[in-house]
Amino acid sequence: MEFVQAIVDGLLIGGVYAVISIGLTLVYGVMGIVNFAQAEFVMIGMFVAWFAWAWLGIDPVLAAPLSFAVAFVIGWILQGQLIARVLKAPSVAQIFLTVGLLIVFENGALMMFGSQFRSVTTPYQTMSLSLGSLFISLPYLIAFGMSLICGAALWWFMRSSWFGRAMRATALNPSAAQLMGIDAGMMYRIAFALGVGLTAFGGAIILPYATVSPAVGGDYVILMFTVVVLGGLGSVAGAVVGGLAVGVIQALSALVFPIQLQNLILFLVFIAVLAVRPQGLVGASR
Amino acid sequence: MKRWMIMLMVLAVALLLPLSLDPQGYWIRVLTFTFLFAAMAQAWNIVGGLANQTSLGHAAFFGIGAYTSTVLLMKFGISPWIGMIAAAGLGGVAAFAIAIPTMRLEGHYFALATLAFGEVLRVVANVWTSVTGGSSGISVPFSPPSLANYSFKLLRPHAYIALAALVIVTAIFEAIRRSAMGYRLQAIKENASAAEVIGVDTTKIKLQAAIISGMLMAMLGTLYAQVAVFFDPDTVFNAGSISIRVALIAILGGVGTPVGPILGAFFIIPLEELMNDWFSASAAGLSQFAFGLILIIVILWRPRGFVTLFKSFSAKVGRAHA
Repeated sequence: MEFVQAIVDGLLIGGVYAVISIGLTLVYGVMGIVNFAQAEFVMIGMFVAWFAWAWLGIDPVLAAPLSFAVAFVIGWILQGQLIARVLKAPSVAQIFLTVGLLIVFENGALMMFGSQFRSVTTPYQTMSLSLGSLFISLPYLIAFGMSLICGAALWWFMRSSWFGRAMRATALNPSAAQLMGIDAGMMYRIAFALGVGLTAFGGAIILPYATVSPAVGGDYVILMFTVVVLGGLGSVAGAVVGGLAVGVIQALSALVFPIQLQNLILFLVFIAVLAVRPQGLVGASR
Repeated sequence: MKRWMIMLMVLAVALLLPLSLDPQGYWIRVLTFTFLFAAMAQAWNIVGGLANQTSLGHAAFFGIGAYTSTVLLMKFGISPWIGMIAAAGLGGVAAFAIAIPTMRLEGHYFALATLAFGEVLRVVANVWTSVTGGSSGISVPFSPPSLANYSFKLLRPHAYIALAALVIVTAIFEAIRRSAMGYRLQAIKENASAAEVIGVDTTKIKLQAAIISGMLMAMLGTLYAQVAVFFDPDTVFNAGSISIRVALIAILGGVGTPVGPILGAFFIIPLEELMNDWFSASAAGLSQFAFGLILIIVILWRPRGFVTLFKSFSAKVGRAHA
């Protein structure tokens, strides 16, 4: 029973991991940039939601669209002003530009908000549903539900909207897309802003069961990379599978190993996947 | 001016520098760490520059080196000089173990896999308390000051040892770069499959580069332990302040060139110290924030490093002469 409980918890948490990580894989898929600063947008999303709760009394889950919007604007500016300049630069320049952004975001937050941990209190925080002998934590369930809505909206956007199709066309062949009248620079801005917006959205919906501090991004870096590499870097559908898998791996390893070793299992899975199937378990398809 | 004359002058300045600084003071410590980090970035440069594999996990070897010599000294009273050789051995073994699964990866994938490896060792060092002392850290036991014990009252000898390390690692880097191995690495960097076709054993060459780099990095870890005297797993296995910083130094200076890591270290390490000095009183995070901004600006301005400044300068001078 403990085992089934762990799998259920893992799947619920994993849904959120998928939303947080989709942005990372989307940006890579569209423009070939690995954004090391992506996890900082979890932090930004959490802070926006925390302030919305503390100042306006809005539930963090309902503040998630606000988190999305703030990150979208930041992402739009970053892509236009900074990332666009290194699109054709060697990969080391791309890696270290985003590492620089990571340092700036984390320490900028430290300067503005201080290093203390903040959390919210909501009426449903400690509630859970019981299904037979299974317990389903309400905050987990709500976050999972929001992830589903978010995932469905993204799926519709990428599939059916003109922007989504134009973005996929740009990913496949930027110069051909340009000839068809698509502004590739604009598509990159949308993709980057959308990507970091989704990550911030994920940050907001986990706030009912997580705490936020300027360094919180560091907790998610390897986790997010594990999710996207499991699913194949660049594959949005793969990130969903990867997110669920990482959630389950974490929950199951917590049953067997002491808490200090929990991340170790994740790292080892990550390295093993890279070594054996760097294109991801699902196979790379954009 | 001839190249060797410039080199001699730089070396003479480097030799005089420790003498000119207050031996009890703060800046001789900064200078020692600048030499040390330049040497570390140079060791990284063998993999990151010559083989073009951006490793973000070199803290793994560095931490192994720091712990190997310190544990040998603590438990068996073995001199850190011998400990340094043991560190090189273990660093080489670790580099081999890491290279096997990651060698075929390229670009971002290689960076990510090595980053995770460094983190694995950090977690292991934190948990394996019987050997490492865990997260409460480890102190290098006191030995009577002498060269044989690698123990000194003042920092000046440490500065010279770090300088010697920098010269030696740079010489090794340059020797590899100009050897057949260097040309094979160059060929792999330009086009791996073409190199394979003309008979370069790409796996073997990359493996050799990784092992040499790992061994040197581990020996520099021992050097660090002797200067720092106290450290913990989160310091020596740190992804940000060791792995990424070392790569960053080489990249800002000019990756794949022998002067790049030296330029980078003399830019970054004193800059960080100065900013800590200026800003630490005003607000937490401000110095790192400014550091991140400078990093972004430099990367946008000189994506191939400071070395290109000299190249464009000498190109201008060359045109003026013509």
